[in-house]
Amino acid sequence: MSEINHDQGTAGKKGGKPTQKRSSTHIDMTPMVDLAFLLLTFFMLTTTFSKPKTMEVNMPVDSKDSTKVSELGTITILLGKNNKVVWYQGLKDPTPMITNLSPTGLRKTLIEKNSKVYATASLLRDSLNRGLVKTDEFKKRLGAIKSDKAGLIVIIKAQDESSYSNLVDVLDEMAVCHIGRYAIVDITPVEIEMIEKI
Amino acid sequence: MVDLAFLLVTFFMLTTKFRADEPVVVDTPSSISEIKLPDIDIMTITIAPGGKLYFNIDGKKTRESVIQKMGERYKVEFTDAEIKRFSVLSSFGLPLQDLKTFLPLGEEGRRLIKQNGVPYDSLDNQLSDWVRFSRLENPQFRVAVKGDRDADYKSVKRVIEILQENKVNRFNLITNLEENI
Repeated sequence: MSEINHDQGTAGKKGGKPTQKRSSTHIDMTPMVDLAFLLLTFFMLTTTFSKPKTMEVNMPVDSKDSTKVSELGTITILLGKNNKVVWYQGLKDPTPMITNLSPTGLRKTLIEKNSKVYATASLLRDSLNRGLVKTDEFKKRLGAIKSDKAGLIVIIKAQDESSYSNLVDVLDEMAVCHIGRYAIVDITPVEIEMIEKI
Repeated sequence: MVDLAFLLVTFFMLTTKFRADEPVVVDTPSSISEIKLPDIDIMTITIAPGGKLYFNIDGKKTRESVIQKMGERYKVEFTDAEIKRFSVLSSFGLPLQDLKTFLPLGEEGRRLIKQNGVPYDSLDNQLSDWVRFSRLENPQFRVAVKGDRDADYKSVKRVIEILQENKVNRFNLITNLEENI
């Protein structure tokens, strides 16, 4: 890359009177370029592009105004220690079922129970992917679908010993299964017993 | 090529943001959520395994007045230099009483001190006061809870309780983006 000055040759070539002697304007740029690349590498390696993502959680403002919900339309998910996940439907003499957080576990159940809303929401997502609806409209319509009164209601109850990542996983399932109505509620002693027994 | 190199250098220099010194590194759980965390007006509550809490707010001015108010509340007097120092720091996990000895230390000294978390039990609920004073100072604050994968639900529940006591019913959970779903 370095340049070698050879301006002696150009001066006398023309034969006529020597014109203004020009000194070469070439500078050795190698060190500067080296430095530039060094800095480039440094900044490239130190930059973190992935900004943290967040999920929004809304807690009920006040628990005084309790809404009556239908027995069948409610699912309670219990989180226990060692990643134990138990769910049951309804409120009176429930039959707890053990499951897990894999796509074939809890998600399958939730999609089954929430099939109507899930189907409409999936259709909507499809049309978004094909460019039939705009993102703004998609969000509005998805919100409307999710708040449908006929949709599934999920109550999430976690034992003190359960891990935070499980809670996030369950909240994630709510997003995947398009469940708009869910709440995080304190666990009762009866349910702790239920989860320990199974 | 050199032009391009310099262009890239400039680009990276302008876009880089150096990560602030965190007293604890947490491994956040992953989710499919793609909502980005806003850059400003963020109050971060970090929950490390074992239930230790670390608190952080942004904004130099806000930090200055919040620590002043906390000092008045807990009868700990901070000098102007200490308040200035606090305003440029980031996350911390110490009771207010210990901040007094923590702030005058140099960078090295601060790194050596083991931070055992902001107290948040019912006897000494400093977290609640931090949240309250910060929100009074800047009502725009969004609360971000940055929990470790292995943090137990008990401490998360307690934090949510404290937030709700302070009328924070909407908050964000910081997660990583899940790669394959």
